[in-house]
Parts: sequence; structure tokens; C-alpha cells
Amino acid sequence: MLTRLTLYLAYSVKTSERHHRNKRFCYDLLENPKSKIKPYFDIFMITLVMSSVFILIHEVKNESNLWSIYFENFVVSIFLCEYLLRGWIYSDMHHIIIEHHENTKYLGQPFSLTKVIRQILKNKLAYIFSPSAIIDLLAILPSYRPLRILRVFLIFRLFKLLRYSQSIQMFTGILKSKQFELTTLAIFMGFLIFIASTAIYIFEHQSVGGQINTLYDAFYWAIVTISTVGYGDITPVSTGGRFVTSALIISGLGVLAFFTSIIVAAFSEKMSEFQEDRVKSTIEKSTNYIILCGFGRVGQEIAQQLSENKKEFIVIDPDKQHADLAIQKGYITLNEDASKNSTLLHAGINHGAKTVLCVTGDDVINVYITLTSRHLNPDINIISRANRDDNVKKLYQAGANHIVQPFSIAGLLASEHIGQPVAFDAIQGILHQQKDGQIDALPILKKCFLAGLTIEQAQLSQYKTSLLGVISASPNHEKRRNRYKLRNQHFYFNPEPSFILHDGDILVLLGRQLSIEFLQSLIEKSHLSARKEDL
Amino acid sequence: MSDSTTAIFGYNSLSFELISQLVKKQTKIIILDSDLEKIELAQKNGLIACQLDYRQDDDLIEVGVGSTLTTLFCFLEHDSENVFLTLSARSLDKKLNIISLVNHPESEEKLFAAGANRIIDPYKICSNKVYQLLSKPHLTWLLDHVVFGRADLNMAEITIPENSILDKTSTQNLCIHEKYNLFLIGVVDKELGEKLYFALGEQDHMLDVGDILVILGSHRDIKHFKKEIGIIN
Repeated sequence: MLTRLTLYLAYSVKTSERHHRNKRFCYDLLENPKSKIKPYFDIFMITLVMSSVFILIHEVKNESNLWSIYFENFVVSIFLCEYLLRGWIYSDMHHIIIEHHENTKYLGQPFSLTKVIRQILKNKLAYIFSPSAIIDLLAILPSYRPLRILRVFLIFRLFKLLRYSQSIQMFTGILKSKQFELTTLAIFMGFLIFIASTAIYIFEHQSVGGQINTLYDAFYWAIVTISTVGYGDITPVSTGGRFVTSALIISGLGVLAFFTSIIVAAFSEKMSEFQEDRVKSTIEKSTNYIILCGFGRVGQEIAQQLSENKKEFIVIDPDKQHADLAIQKGYITLNEDASKNSTLLHAGINHGAKTVLCVTGDDVINVYITLTSRHLNPDINIISRANRDDNVKKLYQAGANHIVQPFSIAGLLASEHIGQPVAFDAIQGILHQQKDGQIDALPILKKCFLAGLTIEQAQLSQYKTSLLGVISASPNHEKRRNRYKLRNQHFYFNPEPSFILHDGDILVLLGRQLSIEFLQSLIEKSHLSARKEDL
Repeated sequence: MSDSTTAIFGYNSLSFELISQLVKKQTKIIILDSDLEKIELAQKNGLIACQLDYRQDDDLIEVGVGSTLTTLFCFLEHDSENVFLTLSARSLDKKLNIISLVNHPESEEKLFAAGANRIIDPYKICSNKVYQLLSKPHLTWLLDHVVFGRADLNMAEITIPENSILDKTSTQNLCIHEKYNLFLIGVVDKELGEKLYFALGEQDHMLDVGDILVILGSHRDIKHFKKEIGIIN
């Protein structure tokens, strides 16, 4: 009967959508390093730990008041919930039951409940005895009244911080990776301390004026000396004792040097891994970034503009020198070949990358990267550089959305200089987005103060900008003059004063950066307040 | 204007577009390069080309630096070559209009010091454009068409001639938008120097003979405007 009930419960849990959802949520909250809510939870827990320890410190000298007791209870209950939840998500009980059931059915053996229970217990005990669970438990236990003696162990709560901080986890990871060396060192140090403390005990115990009376004194002295701290509260007086001291100091220096070098070596070994981890975690967190392939002259300029405008991007360059330069500038960099599928996948072309820029100096490579990116992600926006005219077509064929030709722009610009040197200056100013005169596009947001106004009413000149034209997809303007086709929209050059602005139209303005930004903020503000009113 | 010749140093991928644009504008050009093969190639393409060593001042004088040449484009591949050429040409002709390509930002100053009138940094323009494509895709299309005249929207600069109806008009009373269907980008007010002032309504400029208007509009409207103010009949 009990067996059947267990099985029934196990299967119903397995099929329960809600159970899975809840478990998934708890996993995201507590364990999943990629989830978005975990960092908030971690910060919350760190605050709890710190404040509870602070109260503990406060109570060393002061009387505890009611509020601190309430707070303590609150903290402990949160800790307890966390401990139990972690135990819950550590393994799936119903899996064990079902697996056992299926196995026994297959083998024709009777289903044994005790076996299953034993297995479940074994599983959960593995959790209970895992180091982090022990620390968690130690953080909770001292608050239990009969165990008040263990109050000091509340300090163990600080160890709980280990769980929530990645950098500390990193450090423990390093220590773990050097486990063998550190163990060897610890054994060697243990021997040294043992020999030295025995020797000093033998020499000093008998001599007149000797301060070492117990073996514990000797042990304490050995530790102080081997670490080269040397308080000087216990000093050897006999010749033999001094000899032991000298030997211990010299070997202590060696031990320290050895220890430091192990840690440093481990750090430098892990450094490249951390770099990669950083790339990985950035990729996983962000959803709207740019992959910049090629860190030559053009790539560097683009990277600078992107970082100035606080856009997220990843630099990929197979050239070590270029990659080093990018790392030096603090950009997230992959020193790999962008024409390989694995590199682009690693850079997250299918997770949140929005645009790929192929700006290497070699058209062949640009075509290849474009093709690879398009193959991997049919929807991504690809902007590619073409150095030669004949390659423009190939790049479009390979799947580029936009193509930029540096030499052809330069040529066009230079030719403009013949006969029109002033216009040339204006163009260069506009192309370089000078602060005192730039062309910018401002979209008219829904229900902002400009929507529905005619151009005469809008009076854009009061913002010290002049309207070059309007880009719009709306059919309302179809009968207007000066219409130029622009993909699936139209550009209306120099619109008449009676031209009515609609939601979604884009104003093309000439003005100083200052005035354009000001107008943009006005549009955004009025849009937001209109939305608030609607709500 | 028709007598003046434009010389382009360097027949390479950097200068192809420039040459094709200038050919379109029917400017008199001469291609110069030190590589005989490239010169032959240029001649095969129907261009006037001449092999010469840019390091020899005599050669430069022979092609017309100091006499017939009015504009010189330095489109050589290395900054050092462009600087050298600029320097030589400047010492031969103080009035020559020299426009040079620059590869590294640190060469900008050197080129200006050597006497270049204008410099063009293709990489910087390229990166600006890529960035623009990312942040303002609509604008890029527009600039492409407007700035480089790929659609029937052109930039033109108009010097105010003598006895023009625009003489002694202020920019505010110009009404260029309504009357001529043109967009005024900026003004060079000779009283204030050579600087281009963008027409943003911050300042009112009194137009005189010799001032320059930079306008944007369709071919027809620009032509019409030129007729009105008396540049062409």
C-alpha cells in the first residue's frame, strides 16, 4: 500500500508542471550562475550576513534589545529556508524512486521501499556533508537556544559569504588547483614545527630563565618563529635553543617563499582562464552587443567610438599584437580567428549578438566572415568593409546588410573638393559628426508633444535646429512633394509648413549636438508623461 | 577654370573612385605614378598618365607644378611619401591646392605642417560610417544620397555674384525654403572670415558679394536658384 502511494506520488510529481517550474525558479535563484535573479539574491544574503554579524559585534559590549532578537530570528529563518531549499534542489527524490521502480520491473524483482529510502538518504547526506552545506548549518545552529554556547560560531556566518561572491570562489578554486603542492608544503611545515617545538622544549625547559614551560608554549613559539613574525615574547636563552631558532628562521623563509610562489604561479596560470570567463560571462549577460572582427585601423576607431558611447562589444582578432592592444585598452577580446565557426559561436553570435562588423583590411577574409556569420545566424545584422569596388557585389551575395567602402568614400569626398571646397568642409564636418553642426535623426514617439502638429506649429527653429526633411512610412504624406524613396519608407525633403507630423515619423535635423540632444529629451519626456496619463 | 589641371599622384585602389568621380565631372586630370606598369594600365583605361619620380623637383616642375596645376591630390600609399610630396610641391608653388590622404592619425599634423590644405582620413570616415550605420541607420542612407549625390539631391555652393538680388539680404529674409525649395546648410560670411557657419538660426548674416551659400536641393531647383540670383543666364 505504502509502496503504491510512494510510486503514485513520484509519478504525479514528475508530471507536475508547477513542481518543475518551482524547482526551476529555486535553482535559478540559488545555484544557476547564469540566471539574472541570482546576483540580487546574493547581494541580499551578503547584506543579511554582514548585518547579523555586525549586531553580534555590537552585542559583545552592549545589551541586546528586542529588535535585534527579531532581526536575528528573521535572518536565521531565511538561512534555514535557504538550507532546506538547497537540500531540496540538490537531487530529485522522485527520479530515484522512478528509476528504481523501472529497474526492478525490468528485472522482475520486487520493489523495495527500504532500498529506495536508503538511496535517498545517501543522496541527501552527501548534500549535508558537503563543505558549503556544513558552513550553512554552522551559521544556523548557534542561534538555537540550547546551543547558545556556540555563539562564537556565529562568526561562521562570514564563511557563508564564500557562497555569494565570485571572486572568493575564484580564490578557493585556485587553492584547490594547487592542492597537491599545498598539501606537500603543509606536511613539510608540520614536520618542521613538530621537530622545532620538541627541540626547543627539550633545550629550554631545563635551562635557567627559560620561558618555555609546556609543550604548548613550544608549539606557539615555533609557529611565531617559522612565520618570521617573531613577537619576541618568548626568546631562547640556551645555546641549543638559539641554534634551533636560527635553523627554524631560515627554513621558515624557505617555506614562505615556497608558499608565495605556489599562489602566484597558480594565479598566473589561471589568468587566461579568467579572461575567457570574463568574455563568457559578458556574453551570457548581455543581449544587445556587437561583434567587431578585425582590430586594425578601422577596427580601433570603431571600438573607440563604441566605448565612448558605452555600447557593448567584443573584439575578435587573430593577430596577437592587435589582440594585446585591445586587451590593454580594456576591451573584451578574443584572440581567435573569426572565420572559424567555433570562434563566432564562442563570441555568442546566436546569443544576443545584434550586429557583426567585418572590418579587416582583407576583402577575402571579410567575405568569409560575412558568409560564416550569415550561415550561423540568418537574422543578424552584418556590416562589412569592402576595400575594392569589385567585392561589393560578393559581399552582398555573402549576406552583408550594409557595406562600407573606405577608399571610395574618401575618393568621393576628395572629388567634391574640386569646385566646391566649402561644401567639402560641410560634408566632412557632418561625416565626422562635429559638435557644432551635425545631422541627426529624431523619431517622433507616440503621443509626444510634436505628434499631430504641422511643421509651422512645431517651430523647430526655436530649438536652434533646422529641419532638413522627414523620413516616414506613413501613407498620410503620400501626396507631398519632394518625395525620395528610402527602402520601405520615404524621405520628404524640405517639407511644407502644412506638413503634419505623425507618430513614427523621423525628423532629420541639422543643429548643434546640444540642441539636438535637448529636443530629444523633450520628446522623450512628453512621450513618457503621455504614457503615464494613459495608465 | 577649364585651363586648370588636377594632378593625382598614385594610381591605386585608393584613387580609383576619385578618378572616376573627376572624370564624371569632366575635370582635366593627369595621373602620376612612379610605377610604369600602373601608368600603362591608366593609359589603357583612357586616362592621361605620366610616369615620374615624386622625389625629383625637376619632374614635378615638368608636369606643371607651379604653372598649370591648380590642385594636387596625394594618394600615395605611405604617409611618408605623401608628406614628402606635399613638402616638395608646396615649396614649388605657394598657391597650389594640396589634398592628401592620411593613414595614421599622427601623420595629420605632419601633413599640415608640410603644407597640405586638406587631409582625408579614409579609415576614420569609414569607422564613422560604420558607427553611424549602427546607431542611426536612417541617417546613413540619407547622407549617402545627399552628400554624394546618388539621388537627385545635391549639395552646391553658391558664391554671391555682383549685382545680385541677394546682395545686402540677411539670411533670415532669404526664405530659401519657401521660394526656391532649397535647404540652406551654411554660410561663409567673408566679413567674419572663411569659416562655415551652419544655418541654425543662431546668428543673422548679412550677405554681400563674395559670400558663399551652401545649399541642398534637386538639380532643377538649384539651377533655378542660380538663374534667379544671376549666376547663369
